[in-house]
Amino acid sequence: MRSLVSKSLRATLLTLTLVLVVAAASPITSLSAQAPGEISIVCENETAPGIYNNAVSLVTQDGYIGIPDGNTVYMWGYALDVDIDLVAPGVQYGFQHPGPTLCFTEGQAVTITLTNLGFSQLPSLTDAVSIIFPGQTGVTHDDGTPGLFTGEADSGGGTVTYSFTASLPGTFIYGSGTDPQKQVQMGLFGAIIVRPTLGPNFLYNWTSTQFNPANDYMMLLSEIDPDLHWAVEQGLPYDITLFHPRYWLINGRSFPDTIAPNDAEWLPTQPYGALLHIEPFDAASSAFNYSAVRFLNVGMRNHPMHPHGDHIQVVGRDGRPLQGPLGEDLSYAEFGPVIGAGQTKDTLYNWEEIQLGPSGSLGLPTDIFEALNQFLLRPRDQNIMWGEWFSGSPYLGQTTDRPTGVTAQGECGEYYQIWHSHALHEAANYESGFGGMITLERIDPPGGCPP
Amino acid sequence: MRPDLTDGHTVHFHGFPNAVPAFDGVPELSVGVPYGRSYTYYYRPHDPGTYKYHCHFEDIEHVSFGMTGIVFIRPAADDKWAYNDSSTAFDREFALLLGEVWTQERWEGAHIQEHDWSDYDPDYWTINGRVYPDTLEPNSDPMTTPAIPRLQYQPISSLITCNSNDKVLLRFSNLGFQRQAMRVDGLTLRVIGKDAKFLGPLAYDTDTVDISAGETFDVLFTAPTVTTPTTYLLYNRKLAYLNNGGLPGLGGQMTEIRVSPSGVPAQGEPNT
Repeated sequence: MRSLVSKSLRATLLTLTLVLVVAAASPITSLSAQAPGEISIVCENETAPGIYNNAVSLVTQDGYIGIPDGNTVYMWGYALDVDIDLVAPGVQYGFQHPGPTLCFTEGQAVTITLTNLGFSQLPSLTDAVSIIFPGQTGVTHDDGTPGLFTGEADSGGGTVTYSFTASLPGTFIYGSGTDPQKQVQMGLFGAIIVRPTLGPNFLYNWTSTQFNPANDYMMLLSEIDPDLHWAVEQGLPYDITLFHPRYWLINGRSFPDTIAPNDAEWLPTQPYGALLHIEPFDAASSAFNYSAVRFLNVGMRNHPMHPHGDHIQVVGRDGRPLQGPLGEDLSYAEFGPVIGAGQTKDTLYNWEEIQLGPSGSLGLPTDIFEALNQFLLRPRDQNIMWGEWFSGSPYLGQTTDRPTGVTAQGECGEYYQIWHSHALHEAANYESGFGGMITLERIDPPGGCPP
Repeated sequence: MRPDLTDGHTVHFHGFPNAVPAFDGVPELSVGVPYGRSYTYYYRPHDPGTYKYHCHFEDIEHVSFGMTGIVFIRPAADDKWAYNDSSTAFDREFALLLGEVWTQERWEGAHIQEHDWSDYDPDYWTINGRVYPDTLEPNSDPMTTPAIPRLQYQPISSLITCNSNDKVLLRFSNLGFQRQAMRVDGLTLRVIGKDAKFLGPLAYDTDTVDISAGETFDVLFTAPTVTTPTTYLLYNRKLAYLNNGGLPGLGGQMTEIRVSPSGVPAQGEPNT
């Protein structure tokens, strides 16, 4: 149902959305042609394949992110400082949302130095900042100013250095421990991934958690109340008890931006995509084609995610493997993974063709019009509702001609499935549906789309 | 009621393993079914358990408006087992589909007004489309007028009746947008399945089943031995939701489990 009241507004939004969708989908290429880092997790402190810098310098910054309904939101963020000497307080430097994804290898001695460069968009702000590391053990800090949660970096270039040993493999959140009800909402958070000694293609020191390192994904969930951000931007008071989110994000983006590749140039401050791009599970293949999907929730609400396609297998929670004291397998499968506030879940996922069988085995011709006998009127292009991502065939790797005038996002008959919050009002950008906490899963035919 | 509406619709079989997009019901990723047309969904049932189905066309609205239902896949081993495991045997089964009604939005929908889903704020909480005490009324037929005429189009009862020592299966499914906490005082609930997967050694006992949007749970209890008819309440521990639109008295997501010493006939259909 669509109301007539705001038809022109809706038309504008729809146009905007379509433009973004077209732009978002077009750079995605086949698996074989996919550049490293185009999708899946980017470890910002990786200096060589599998080698992670254990001395990380972060700075504070601020900037704006875009929402597909046309809005922009003022945010704060951690930014990677590759050369602190080049940076002075008040200089815009590398703002990104969310903060840089940091990876370590189990057992690495980690130091993270935070320098409070203030906020260049609003230099009048004098907030101290800090970082806490939930799930890590033995975190210490030196210098800095004592704070309630941890040591803090004062405004005007103050620094604080945190140290810990990355002793536990898994997926973790880091975020502000200063005025956190405001600062975390403003965007001071990010993800830490600790790879086990068993190997970077395992989630834990547990052989059952092996995955294909080309398919290592994160879904960092957050929510935004634009009133809070407006109040901070305008120097106005904000009552956190009235917190009322209007936007719901994955990896700092709202659908359809979530399916754009990493570092999409039209999303300059939101570098992390959330598209899953896989091939079907093949038991006979020597390639190990489970994907790792790491959920993190930095928000204040639980988010009941729903992966279409198949169940996920939850093998770890909050950076702890789901194993009993004797190594018993306590992992479980679900199609309704709820990610609690501050929680992480490490999961394995694959998709296997078990529904249709070989082409024709259900008696379905490849032409969906003939196969399903659903559109009785001809010409067939009239009065149909054809999804842009639909190949036209039930079968993977097959296509049919799209109806005239339908935008086609597909490449070679690949499948697209949706993953989204099943608190369905969160699958929206404000009041505009098919947005928000949604991403897509792309399943290519075996071997990927031809180049 | 609104003949001006020409919405398309779909069916999404929520949780069916390894669905293919053409039969998964997401219109943006397949096809929507236009007004006046038909479409056939094909699938092979694979894993037994409790699923659900709902429209995925403009899903916030179409799900909230009630285009929802429960699906069971029965195990090959036995129709009276929840899964292919004898520990999941039951005598009676009851499907309990949780939902919510936001009357402001429903009024606006009926009166051609815009509404903002980010203001989502329901004021009724339902089991099988009814609120307490309507949940206790018997099943009815939407084609005929029942004893309570206003329940004609809410035909599914949530009254749970059984005999002493019966094994009773509760199939919970939540297609509201909120997290609920369904509780029974005085009985032990054994959670044997989640999201159509047998929990096996991970099965656990509780008195409260937390159910978020989009989840399903299969729960067994064994009725106690009683000498007189005994009633247990099944209710949402989110006590504010035991209410009908702010009016005095109890309502919302609550029903009764009535255990008889004997004499309740064998169950033919679920929810009877």
